Amino acid sequence: MSPRIAAALGLALACFAGIVWVVARGQLPPAEFTFNNDTEIKSLDPAIVTGQPEGRIIEALFEGLVRLGPEKREPRPGIAESWTLSDDGLTYTFKLRKNAVWSNGEPITSQDFVYSMRRFLDPLTLAEYAYQAWYLKNGERYSRAARSLAVGDPVEVELHERTPGAREYARGVVLRGELIEIETDADASQADLADPAKYVELRTFVVESEGRSRRFRVGEPGAARAGADSCRQLLLDFSEVGFRAVDPYTIEMVLESPTPYWLQLVGFYPLWPVNQACVETHGPLDWTEPDKIVTNGPFTLEFRRIRDRMRLRKFADYWDADDVRVETIDALAVESLTTQFNLYETGKCDYITKVSPITARELVKADPPRKDFFPAPQFGTYFYSMNVTRPPLNDARVRRALLLSIDRTEIIATAGSIETPAFSFTPPGIPGYDPPRCDDTNLAEARRLLAEAGYPGGEGFPKIEILYNFEEQHQTIAELVRKQWRRGLGIDVSTRNEEWQTFLSSTRQLQFDLSRRAWIGDYLDPNTFLDMFVTGGENNQTGWGNEEYDRIIDAAKYEGDPAQRLAMLARAEEILMTEGPLIPIFFYATRYLVKPYVKGFFYNVQDTHPLRYIRIDRGGVSR
Amino acid sequence: MTTPPLNAKRAGVSLTQDAIRRLSKNLTAMISFAVLVVVVGLAVLTPLLPLQPPDRDLTAQMFAEPTAERLFEKTFNFDPQVNAVARERLPAALEKRGVRQAELKSLLADAKRTPEAESQSRRNLRQAEAAIVALEQRAYASVGYPHLGPLSRWMVRTRHALFGEWQLASVCGRDKLGRDLLSRIFWGARVSLIVGVVATLVSLAIGVTWGSVAGYVGGSVDNLMMRIVDVLYSVPFVFLVIFLISILSEDRVKDALAGYGIDRITIFYFVVGAIYWLTMARVVRGQVVSLRNEPFIEAARSIGVSQTAIIFRHIVPNLLSIVVVYLTLTIPRVILFEAFLSFLGLGVEPPDVSWGLLANEGIQVITPIKIYWWLILFPSLAIGVTLFALNFLGDAIRDAFDPRLKGR
Amino acid sequence: MIGFIARRLVWMLITLWVVFTLSFFLMRAVPGGPYASDRQLEPEIEANIRREFNLDKPLYEQYWLKLKQVASGDLGSSTKIRTPVNRIVSEGLPVSGALGLLALAIAFAIGLPAGIISAVARGTFADVALMSIATIGIALPNFVVAGFAIILFVFVLEWLPAAGWGSLEQLVLPAFCLGAPYAAYVARIARTGMLDVLSQDHIRTARAKGLGPLSVVLRHALPTAMLPVVSFLGPAVAGIMTGSPVVEQIFAIPGLGWHFVQSAINRDYPMAMGLVLLYTGLLYTMNLLVDLSYGLLDPRVEWD
Repeated sequence: MSPRIAAALGLALACFAGIVWVVARGQLPPAEFTFNNDTEIKSLDPAIVTGQPEGRIIEALFEGLVRLGPEKREPRPGIAESWTLSDDGLTYTFKLRKNAVWSNGEPITSQDFVYSMRRFLDPLTLAEYAYQAWYLKNGERYSRAARSLAVGDPVEVELHERTPGAREYARGVVLRGELIEIETDADASQADLADPAKYVELRTFVVESEGRSRRFRVGEPGAARAGADSCRQLLLDFSEVGFRAVDPYTIEMVLESPTPYWLQLVGFYPLWPVNQACVETHGPLDWTEPDKIVTNGPFTLEFRRIRDRMRLRKFADYWDADDVRVETIDALAVESLTTQFNLYETGKCDYITKVSPITARELVKADPPRKDFFPAPQFGTYFYSMNVTRPPLNDARVRRALLLSIDRTEIIATAGSIETPAFSFTPPGIPGYDPPRCDDTNLAEARRLLAEAGYPGGEGFPKIEILYNFEEQHQTIAELVRKQWRRGLGIDVSTRNEEWQTFLSSTRQLQFDLSRRAWIGDYLDPNTFLDMFVTGGENNQTGWGNEEYDRIIDAAKYEGDPAQRLAMLARAEEILMTEGPLIPIFFYATRYLVKPYVKGFFYNVQDTHPLRYIRIDRGGVSR
Repeated sequence: MTTPPLNAKRAGVSLTQDAIRRLSKNLTAMISFAVLVVVVGLAVLTPLLPLQPPDRDLTAQMFAEPTAERLFEKTFNFDPQVNAVARERLPAALEKRGVRQAELKSLLADAKRTPEAESQSRRNLRQAEAAIVALEQRAYASVGYPHLGPLSRWMVRTRHALFGEWQLASVCGRDKLGRDLLSRIFWGARVSLIVGVVATLVSLAIGVTWGSVAGYVGGSVDNLMMRIVDVLYSVPFVFLVIFLISILSEDRVKDALAGYGIDRITIFYFVVGAIYWLTMARVVRGQVVSLRNEPFIEAARSIGVSQTAIIFRHIVPNLLSIVVVYLTLTIPRVILFEAFLSFLGLGVEPPDVSWGLLANEGIQVITPIKIYWWLILFPSLAIGVTLFALNFLGDAIRDAFDPRLKGR
Repeated sequence: MIGFIARRLVWMLITLWVVFTLSFFLMRAVPGGPYASDRQLEPEIEANIRREFNLDKPLYEQYWLKLKQVASGDLGSSTKIRTPVNRIVSEGLPVSGALGLLALAIAFAIGLPAGIISAVARGTFADVALMSIATIGIALPNFVVAGFAIILFVFVLEWLPAAGWGSLEQLVLPAFCLGAPYAAYVARIARTGMLDVLSQDHIRTARAKGLGPLSVVLRHALPTAMLPVVSFLGPAVAGIMTGSPVVEQIFAIPGLGWHFVQSAINRDYPMAMGLVLLYTGLLYTMNLLVDLSYGLLDPRVEWD
């Protein structure tokens, strides 16, 4: 009897001790500035991530040649202290500062940038944002590897084996030479030869290197055919790419065509450098671990607790450390909007990136007015895209009828709060660009068009479906749009929600009728919105295409006169809006909350607030 | 937790009669029972009641507070005339479907068909079928009803005949789209209760069969069957359900399943039913093992009654009490599970509505700065009262059937 | 007893293998790969990702490779957050464990007294009242309970923090919301067990000997009445572990539960597979431990 009770008590005590121990391990002194970073980040590798939460942390840990200002997003000197642009607008020359160091103490030189750019463009790096560097001369060809090569091109062949003594994750041995022949397999069918996915499988590449010619197959070591060596990959020689180190502190970039927003892209984290020794020693997955990562930005990574927080600490040797005023920053990974708001309201968090639409509506109405809530337009559009490969949406009249029977005011009043109705795809706010407007709600015209297309009063209109990814707001909007079309046009619409990953694959494979989408501009130029709708564009995802549109978008790239260029883009957008596959609904508005004592925090249309400029000023008490 | 052997067969009063007698003296149980009868009755008759259609939105009145100013309003604008028009067009639509069916059939007979042509033909057929449904539903959908079956449609027509344009005002307030909360709770009851009952019945069917076979056959078969149950106990089914439901909601899979009339809720019945049978199987087996050795079974066997007859005439009736107890305790769990899935966005899809969905919508609009209390209070009350009643009734039934508590 | 444990461990391995095989093929059968992302990928990049995750190999080879990897204790790397699953587990499991234990403790602390008192005072107002309180936990979805609790304890009374991880204070609300449904079950089982025992002969004897009612209940009835409660521990632990996602999400607790749900929804194959296997192993071990402890508590039970 009593030993049993003793055992039970002992067990209970042990459990309690365990709980206390686990909890104690989690205890931390609070950071000087705590904000919520929305979710657990995918990675800290600047080259491979694409999301905003990742961007916030990476922009604090790393630094590129230039970085963008907190308010106007203008390029400011980063690792480069100055730069010049040639008169033809094609060649940039960056001068690097000599006092910039990595967090392991080594100086940052132009070699670091060359290494990082090559790695970024290398298809094996799996950089989703690689196309942001395709403005560099031959950048795209380098990324497209063997498929972009023609006989006579200078090439680099990466072999499977590494130089003896090389770091574990270094590249294989690289042979440089000239591509002298591409042999196609005799037994391959014409259809297979034309298939881009099978391009390298069916070809042998003959390369002349160091005076002798060798035959290569791209692929696994075992897969080589007789008479040919196997190599990991075959690329255009990187020296052909418009990115080179002139000397240890000078970098020269040559562009394909004058690109007015190029400096914005250079200030965008995917093009920022990583530390070669660190990456090659620990490999693509492990190098971002807190105890291994080497960074060069204003902060260093102290630790990372999955789904809890990341702690950043000021980097004492940062070249501009005097200008960094916060010692420690905590980035929480709280997903639920309600929970983040609760944390903010109870003072556990100084900045949250967004509140739910319903909360936003209440905050706007708050009396006395909130001193920490500043709704303002943002550089992003919420829209519905239509799959024009499916009837009845292949009929431009039907698409227009749907567009004309949307009541944006009702949608915003119900599902939104402070957003502005969108009548164009490109949001306002780009200097010198006035986006062409589409028509507002016009039910009479919509019904006329629908009747003209063969569905008077919605009679006989096939049932179409709205696809959205599961989130409260998207669901409400889909429901409203469904009801508006039923009321206005008498047609039957259903809704379907999918989880994010499924949703992405459905939209990509055009497995939908209508789908909810959003686009946030990467840089302040209409091009970031408009070039996605060129025929077959990777993010087009509607099946829509228009030759005139494609021609204008392409011509605008080579247009030297900025005003003329914007006028051309406006013409393209007009085409998109009159017959296009999309219904703009609203422009996003910022919905962040930030405590009044957080300074150095500015509004901008991209809703980006670099951590580097943040200061805490609680008035009187200096911290 | 195992129920002891039911050997208290006395002359005159059977165990069941005795249990019912004791149950009827238990006040809590009787109140619970009455509540359940009312809830189920109202849920069944919902389309007949003068409630606002559950999906009728009035965005101008979104988040309107509960009001008791006036109870009824004359706003139900159902138009039976639409049905008459639809009836005229129905033959044409049916004919079109016939044509599409024939097309698909002849295509399927063609060995050289391309997959694209086949999927196009299937799409055409589905469109033709959707057109028929749209005609049938038009009058109801346009005033804000979700998809209705024939019986519900009849009830709505009857209701219109009885009450005309009168309907209850929004005494429980309105939600974010200005829909009437009271009617959504009523319509949600239908879905939630059906989900709870059907899924439980599925698990019951599997569990009772499995458990009684294992218990009755005994030996190594029993051993193996129960070991399988043990093993399945260790599988994290919550995960499996989420995974399956998210796969099966995918466009192509869903299209294929819709061809067989299977939607997300049907999948839910089966998957959930397939989880909850484990406990049932264990309990039933225990019961059967102890019954098998009872003298009256021995007797039946010795006079040559067939195996099947023994199982169905003697064993199954004696399982009734635990089955009823189990029913009342599992239905609440399934209803809560559906709520959990709604929280994850995998529950029923609009315009259908369930209590779980309502609870989730309610909790979304609870923030420290503004509480739309009615949106969480009323759905919680509905769920709470029903589940309370089910739990209390289950407890009382168990007590009533427990022979050792006899006379206490 | 050693034989019993050994046999059960063999069954556990079989279970794990079956679960592995099933989840492997299930996950390969679904649309939407692990590399799906916001932007469309170039064919080369997509091919490289497929190679990185071995998706370009024939299915049987993938199966074999994965089985070898998992058998060696390496659960692979999450595709959603590029981190080894082993590391995610080692960080999240103690957190989930602490939360679960506390929830269990709360469930028993509320459920046991409620059950015992309502059995002893059966049919009285106290019985109905206590059982009603205990039933709240199974009468409402736990996200609703959590929502009410946050408004009440965080914003109205200002007693507890809203969310987060790092102090015992922050754990109280989530553990309560997680444990509440189980308090109800415990109360019920304890009540039934107690009623059972109270009608047995040795209790009557004890009463007849003139022992006080308190002593009868605590010394003589309670130990036996505890048996069914202990046997409920297995399912309770299982339920608490798989039930924690909602609570973890609402209270921002970095445990495994939400990973578990997210990996299923996001088709994060390696993570989903790793977590399914982990949970299966854990649940199996729990059930085994409960069976063993049952034997320790009740001399009549023999392991076969």
